[in-house]
Amino acid sequence: MSFELNAKLAARREPLPTSAEVDPVTASIIRGGMETICFEAATHLGRAASSAIINQSNERNGSIVDAHGRLAGAAIGTPHLTFVSGLTVRYGLMRKDDYDWGPGDVFLGNDPDCGGGHLPDYNVYAPVYDDAGELIMVQCLQAHQGDTGGKDPGGFTLEATDIFTEGMAFPCLKLVHRGERRRDVFDMVVRNNRFPSFAGDLAAMIGGVQHSVRLLRELVRKWGSDKVKAAINYNIEHTERRVREEVGQWPDGTYEADVFVDHDTIGSAKDIRVHVACTVSGDQLTVDLTGTDDRQHLVGVWNTFANSRGYVMTQVVAAMDPGINKNEGFFNVVDMIIPEGCIAHPPPNRPAALGSFHPACEITEAVCVALSSIVPERSAPQVYKMGMPNAVIGFDERGRMWMDQGVDSRTCDTSAVQGIDGWGSCPVSLGNLLLSQVEDAESRFPVINISREMTRDSEGAGRWRGQPGSLNVKQVLEPTTAMAWMVTSRHPLRGMCGGDDASPYSNRFKVGTPDEHKVELSANETLPVGSVIAYQYGGGGGFESPLLRDPGAVREDVLDEIVSVERARDKYGVVFTGSVEEFDLQVDAAATAARRKELRESKAA
Amino acid sequence: MVYRVGIDIGGTFTDFALLKGSEVVLYKNLSTPEDRSLGVMSGLEKLAQMEGLPMDEFMAQCDAIVHGTTVADNTLIEMNGAVTGLITTEGFRDEMEYRRGYKENVWDVRLQPPRQITPRRRRLTVPERILHDGSIHKPLDEAAVRECCRRLQKQNVESVAISLLFSFVNPAHEQRVAQIVAEEMPGVHISCSHQVLPRSPEYDRTSTTVVNAYIGPRVTSYLERLVTRVREAGYRNQLMVMQASGGVMTREYIENSPVRVLASGPAGGVIGSAYAGVAKGHENLLCVDMGGTSYDISMVLGGAAPAVAGWNIHHRYLVGVPMVQVETLGAGGGSICHVNQGEIEVGPASAGSEPGPICYGRGGTRPTITDALLMLGILSDTSEFAGGSFALTRDGVAEAFQAIGDEMGYSAEDAAFDCWRMVNANMSQGVRRITAGKGIDPADMCMLAYGGNGPAFAAIQAEDLGINRVLVPKASPTFSALGTLVADPTIDEERSYLVSADSVDIGKLKSLWAELAERAHRYFTNAGFTAAQVTAKYQLNMRYPGQNWALTFNVRVSEGLGDLAFVDGEIGRRGIEIFNRYHMQEYGHIREDEVPEIAGVRLATSVVTPSPTVGHGFNAPARLARVARTRRANLGQGYREVDIVHGADLEPGHEVKGPAIIEETFTTIVVYPGWQALVDDAGDYELVRTAGPVVAAGGS
Repeated sequence: MSFELNAKLAARREPLPTSAEVDPVTASIIRGGMETICFEAATHLGRAASSAIINQSNERNGSIVDAHGRLAGAAIGTPHLTFVSGLTVRYGLMRKDDYDWGPGDVFLGNDPDCGGGHLPDYNVYAPVYDDAGELIMVQCLQAHQGDTGGKDPGGFTLEATDIFTEGMAFPCLKLVHRGERRRDVFDMVVRNNRFPSFAGDLAAMIGGVQHSVRLLRELVRKWGSDKVKAAINYNIEHTERRVREEVGQWPDGTYEADVFVDHDTIGSAKDIRVHVACTVSGDQLTVDLTGTDDRQHLVGVWNTFANSRGYVMTQVVAAMDPGINKNEGFFNVVDMIIPEGCIAHPPPNRPAALGSFHPACEITEAVCVALSSIVPERSAPQVYKMGMPNAVIGFDERGRMWMDQGVDSRTCDTSAVQGIDGWGSCPVSLGNLLLSQVEDAESRFPVINISREMTRDSEGAGRWRGQPGSLNVKQVLEPTTAMAWMVTSRHPLRGMCGGDDASPYSNRFKVGTPDEHKVELSANETLPVGSVIAYQYGGGGGFESPLLRDPGAVREDVLDEIVSVERARDKYGVVFTGSVEEFDLQVDAAATAARRKELRESKAA
Repeated sequence: MVYRVGIDIGGTFTDFALLKGSEVVLYKNLSTPEDRSLGVMSGLEKLAQMEGLPMDEFMAQCDAIVHGTTVADNTLIEMNGAVTGLITTEGFRDEMEYRRGYKENVWDVRLQPPRQITPRRRRLTVPERILHDGSIHKPLDEAAVRECCRRLQKQNVESVAISLLFSFVNPAHEQRVAQIVAEEMPGVHISCSHQVLPRSPEYDRTSTTVVNAYIGPRVTSYLERLVTRVREAGYRNQLMVMQASGGVMTREYIENSPVRVLASGPAGGVIGSAYAGVAKGHENLLCVDMGGTSYDISMVLGGAAPAVAGWNIHHRYLVGVPMVQVETLGAGGGSICHVNQGEIEVGPASAGSEPGPICYGRGGTRPTITDALLMLGILSDTSEFAGGSFALTRDGVAEAFQAIGDEMGYSAEDAAFDCWRMVNANMSQGVRRITAGKGIDPADMCMLAYGGNGPAFAAIQAEDLGINRVLVPKASPTFSALGTLVADPTIDEERSYLVSADSVDIGKLKSLWAELAERAHRYFTNAGFTAAQVTAKYQLNMRYPGQNWALTFNVRVSEGLGDLAFVDGEIGRRGIEIFNRYHMQEYGHIREDEVPEIAGVRLATSVVTPSPTVGHGFNAPARLARVARTRRANLGQGYREVDIVHGADLEPGHEVKGPAIIEETFTTIVVYPGWQALVDDAGDYELVRTAGPVVAAGGS
């Protein structure tokens, strides 16, 4: 039963037994060495992999888990994955005698019911033993695979009601035994994947962890197992101490938030609720998801237990000094209550693919909203709120399928934070993912990108404003199929501390024809030649009331055509003399004061 | 006598390397930040004096003055470039702000945005559209261009970047926009993307063009000033300028593409390293340059410093032109040591040269790495420092480290030692991260250390990385100037051409290479070289469909320009063969079922010019060097009396056994326990590990 298993997997782990003492500087040097090796493993994977999502978009993570299953070090990728990979390894560690673990072994795990995230996030890991045969730590590499062998390419099936629709789940599968690849096992895994490049990617992941294990063994030899174990203990304790100091500065109390997903993946239910209560008590933080939706008939909005923990942690980490080393010390300070059976802790065999988008992101967002009253200076949601980018699919003259996806996602969820307007194209935690470009896409696919500019007056207004949303318009030059899944229309990304919400996402197909229509839930349509699709991305939420914004900053926004003169007057209460066209716009101080007074009074009334 | 002069302007010093025959003379003077050309001129006058010549005669005898400048980098660091506008395709106004989604720190929600060179009001769009095959989908709206000019003029724009979609395939619209801008905004500086970086994708090209526009006027006016001054002083040839690619080129060429001088300072040092390393028999080098504020790491592979075009983020802007890869860590002599939440940290904040480390006695109060070296006895307050220009002081140093010790619970000496350990660990990890990206084990390389502080750390760094041999050239403190002197005139340009490798249009390929060759021919001829002197590397950029990053390789290397007979019906097949070989080498696999695509063509041209001869070998009789005195110092194994040797006393054949410290004019070389320093026939140092595995002595 996965609930009992999850409780065991998430239970707090003891420090590693060691008789050695370590000084802080040596501990820090050993940590740096481990992190660099982890970086080498991830870099090796990036160089050797052939799929674009790994070698270009950098959607890959390295982490080191100690012999007790504690996160001991991490490198590159996205924070969302960093805090997920540990539980898959803990499952393997629980079964290590059953599965005959030994030096030179490499394992694969991705099972949502055995500590995994969604199926595409393959975690390949390898144990590191010292010369005396003691298990010291485990090197993991996690990467998003393009397919998982389920009903639909990519593994995302909107109507899936169980995990088996989505593909193959591996609880803990040995790929390499004592240094020898298990050909039968490897071939079976490869067979259950649509993409020919997968075999190379899996081989690259194995090569990456093996490379890292060699280096980690050298590190253990250089310092001695006891010293390395003492260093791991020290570093985790040090992080725990630092996190406790941060939490200790927060006022005691319970801070709650509700965030909603528009609907489930088939539209069978609306307003899927995520409820979070963050309780600060001294230097301990509890994140309680009790009250989160648990309607069992919901489709596609089930986030795995490991993912829910990781997505909570992503926002908790964002709320603290970014210099704190990322390891198990964080989990030691944060108790999580995630009720069994709710959408953040599904019963066995639920589908997992789309739940990693929603409600996963809403969990992160809700933690952000809850903490925003006590850590306003670090409250910006680390989310991706689009359902999915419009996928345009066709076949070339040789009958091969092509898919243009993702080129047009711009200014997604780039919220303000206290003192800094939203900027760029995504929250910082996704800043390692590089977006593709028109000139590459159009050279490959029969499409024309017409626009992807920011949309005036679509910013989440605030004292510090979100980055405006963007309108992404594309025309197809051949008959194609277009797929979409829409959320975040009725429930846009939340503003913080009185700032306005971001603008809603929306999506229109066959623009400019009598058949033009809005995609409300999902679409899977054939588009004739020349059809235009237009996806409005939501941009970022604001921070504090727009009536507090520096009128000079509003003037800059108006000159930059981010905000119109009318919106400046009606939303920010700022009135100008002069004109945008002549660049002689000036704030009319008296009229602005009067207008702001008027807006405050009408809001109060 | 025919002279060649290499000049490198750094933050504190301007370095000169004078080549006469096969002899090199080095000189250093203080930089003059208000007008850097003044410091250059006073240095040249000093060289003339040293040669016993009047200035005009000396200048007239200069065959070449080669110059590395930081003016472009300083403009981007200080963000004081030209008021810049951007004209781009309708619908694509905001790519500069999107940055392809890239953000530098995934953990810091308070990461500040880069300052916009072109805020949105100065990013204007015009209706027009060219498709990937170069066809015109929508004609250019010329009235809209004129309206853009009006709006930019109202904002006092001094420099205009023009970047339209697919201009690298068909530049007609960009050219017409440039004409209109020149008409409507006379005197404005214009940068066209099809000239600055004619390749896809649009963000890379646009960003490079915008940076070019921003720094262009500053670089141009600085070079004009300098050219006027050297001409007036009697110099008769073209001023040559260092580029980030590691080659030099004429001012005329640079003025059309000033972005190419960004990051050229460190490139000079790497080129100097490659030259010296190869002369001494080492083709694979890990080059480390530790100065006052930073620790620069680069690699020389197979005797060359590869220049990589593409995702070069420089001062928070993407600059896509070829750059010698140099990674910079905030770990220099001036890096400040402090305790952050119970952990010792070194840098990235630096005390710089003013006030500088506490031991400089110029008002610095925060302990730095240089101060730690004084505490450890590696530096001394009784020896000369920086060529005798001043002496170090102990006042306040121990107290500053005691403050760290108090927080950590130990003595000031322990604190200084831990700071030394931390900076060592940071540097080793920095090296590993860079070599990992290339799949290289640093243990297979030879280290070359330069910069004022490099040789104090080199051997312990090397040991940590498994390296057994370290080269420390006597000229190491002025290595970048030497680098400008040995760098060859080079033009390295590319053009996009996206096509499957099995359906290449031979005519198209020929015309692209012919166009690049014609450009090279023109600039080299103007610089006084003949086409026959030019070495041309015809290169392809190839990748598998779906990959973003292409591999670049030579398909033809020829002496002289112009013979394109090798571009025949077999070129696609040959390209696939070479590409697959490289892909296997780089990434460990090939995709047998897929046909790779050509992403672009590149032509790297260069001319070999005279360079100093670098002596090598160990033919002088080996003997132990004279120990001048001893000093209490901690070289990683606790305090003990350590031999001090004067660099001035050393001659070819001398050996210094570690632990020992060699005091040179502008640097200090530490011979750590288990290491030995050998002086080769040229007077340069080689540090060799004697404890543990040592590879057979090489270098001659």
